[in-house]
Amino acid sequence: MADFTAWLEGTGIATWTRESGSIWAYPTILTLHTIGLGIVVGASAVLDLTLLGYAPRLPLPSLRPLFRVIWWSFALNALTGVVLFMADATVKSHQIVFYVKLTLIALALWNTALVRRAVFGGPNVEPASASTVTSGGRRLAAVSLVLWAAAITAGRLMAYL
Amino acid sequence: MKAQNWMWTIGGLAAAALLFEAVPAVAHHSSAPFYDATRKVEAQGPITKFLFRNPHSFLYLEANDDKGQKVEWQVELGAAAPLTRTGWTPETLKPGTIIKVVGQPSRAEGSHGICCARLTRPDGSPIVPGGRVEEETPTPR
Repeated sequence: MADFTAWLEGTGIATWTRESGSIWAYPTILTLHTIGLGIVVGASAVLDLTLLGYAPRLPLPSLRPLFRVIWWSFALNALTGVVLFMADATVKSHQIVFYVKLTLIALALWNTALVRRAVFGGPNVEPASASTVTSGGRRLAAVSLVLWAAAITAGRLMAYL
Repeated sequence: MKAQNWMWTIGGLAAAALLFEAVPAVAHHSSAPFYDATRKVEAQGPITKFLFRNPHSFLYLEANDDKGQKVEWQVELGAAAPLTRTGWTPETLKPGTIIKVVGQPSRAEGSHGICCARLTRPDGSPIVPGGRVEEETPTPR
């Protein structure tokens, strides 16, 4: 494990990210990571709040494309996240809060998949309107908001714990 | 909305708020949780290591602590990008160079950390010939 993280840290991309004075290195990668976070959690929040009844006039079927937005933005964050981890792998691999963050993200994404199945049915099923979402669907939406808030908090705490 | 939905929503928001409440200051200040801005410490001695890196650079030097013991001090600096803009390179601070550091001490008990420091040669002149002397402020994390 220690050998592996040291090797990761020594790779070209990790070294460049960590040690380059270029604005295109660490600052840009971290910015992309933040933009991706904003879109993943922003789109999730729109879905969750709509399911909770905060936007009763939004037709639920029109929100289905948001799942694709969430997955693509998450892909951007997985990619930039791997690079940011590599740049500081020997330290981050010892941070408990980093594993807490990964677990919370995994739970939040799993929860998103559950929302899709519970509320939006299969890919060819027309979802119900927000007013007919079951209490189970609404519970998933509330859990989603909490999980994403917790994941962001854990991520932020990586700089401080 | 039914009462039950409100309950879930408010419960969720309250839980989220609690999580944020646990970390009140960190959202706005990068150095305050770690360093005491109301105090100043000074260390002078040879540089042992200079890590020019993102998101924070670090400088290490060997100098006396407040009890007169030789210890290794860790000085937290800004990211590589802003240091590059001010003309610094990984070779700017060479091991062995005697440097004077005045800045805010680390809050952690028994640690020897300095942040937001003024770095000069022992006589107070700039490190880089013709350079400026000013307090280094690390970028927010």
